[in-house]
Amino acid sequence: MDCGTCDSADPVQMVKPEVINVNLTISEMAKNMLSDAFGDDRSHALLVGVLSGGCSGYMYDLQIVESTDQDCQELSIDGFRVLIPKASSHLLDGIEIDYVEKLMGGGFKIINPNAESSCGCGESFS
Amino acid sequence: MPNLPAVVGSLFPEVKSLPIAALLDASLTVWRGKDVLEFIDGLSTNKVTELKSGQLIRTIFTDSNAKIIDCVTLFHMGEFVVAVGHLPFLDKLLKHTSRRILGQDVTITDITQRNDLFIEFDCINDSADVGTFSSEGDITRGNITSSYSLIVVGKGNGPINLEKFEKFNQWRIINKIPWHGYEITNSFHPFACGLEDLVHLQKGCYIGQEILARMHSRGRQGKSLSQVDTLTCKPSSITTMGETQSLAIIRC
Repeated sequence: MDCGTCDSADPVQMVKPEVINVNLTISEMAKNMLSDAFGDDRSHALLVGVLSGGCSGYMYDLQIVESTDQDCQELSIDGFRVLIPKASSHLLDGIEIDYVEKLMGGGFKIINPNAESSCGCGESFS
Repeated sequence: MPNLPAVVGSLFPEVKSLPIAALLDASLTVWRGKDVLEFIDGLSTNKVTELKSGQLIRTIFTDSNAKIIDCVTLFHMGEFVVAVGHLPFLDKLLKHTSRRILGQDVTITDITQRNDLFIEFDCINDSADVGTFSSEGDITRGNITSSYSLIVVGKGNGPINLEKFEKFNQWRIINKIPWHGYEITNSFHPFACGLEDLVHLQKGCYIGQEILARMHSRGRQGKSLSQVDTLTCKPSSITTMGETQSLAIIRC
């Protein structure tokens, strides 16, 4: 097999989505939960990303991080540092981060106006 | 038919007497990056995250209706993964996957034009060797199942004594093996064309998973791959035509 390991074969050109300045909101319930999670230490940030996969093709990825090697936009919302990877900014503009208190299926939820459809569990969208 | 000097027979002497046919419509892409296996796993039917260097696995990219986008064989080459798919489906596969890469470490290179691909069939691969491949020089031979292997050779270095593809099709009909462009097309879901083995039912979510899981749990998959009598079967259902027997995808 000739795998082009000499790198003379060009990579398939990927369509790079436009980077958008993201606006997002956090519901009061979600803010309360984030306050509990962060405590007084606000040096950490909430990373809101998107990964491929899930029933609908994209999956939300919420993490509390000190830093990340991803190229991100940094927002400050009510004292919370929020990081949005630029590569997925086009999928996250206008979202609201909410928190739903339920025994099953509860937790952080993302309400996304860009999503055409989403999976029943709310973790995946397209 | 490409110009194919004899090499495979000398480097793989055991295949000398086995039938080999050229795959003229196969695609070959290199997938590099630390997130490749996780990325493919999140978008296809089989569990590929445990694939190790020297192993191969087949998996199917499906759309939201669980219809096949492409069925690929992944070769883990150590530093990267090579995917063998169906050339007419490559554009659709790349569109489907590339817009989902986002921030993940995945790059794809099309090396189809650098290689020739062949199918060696009617062989008896040791069960321990199924799902593995070996390379010598620019020849890579992957044991897909116990009865057929895929051979990838640098352009122009393939075997000279080739069987006609029709002979491979005859063998497929007898052994009820679905193939790209015949049964494995964008019109069918994996269960309909006999690829149940490539659908991992415990792996978690991917596009089309809910539909496949529902079909499986209810035991209702609609159509399925069958061997049929060529003369009596409805011609529009036949996917691979043989003289007396054919393959067809028909309602169970």
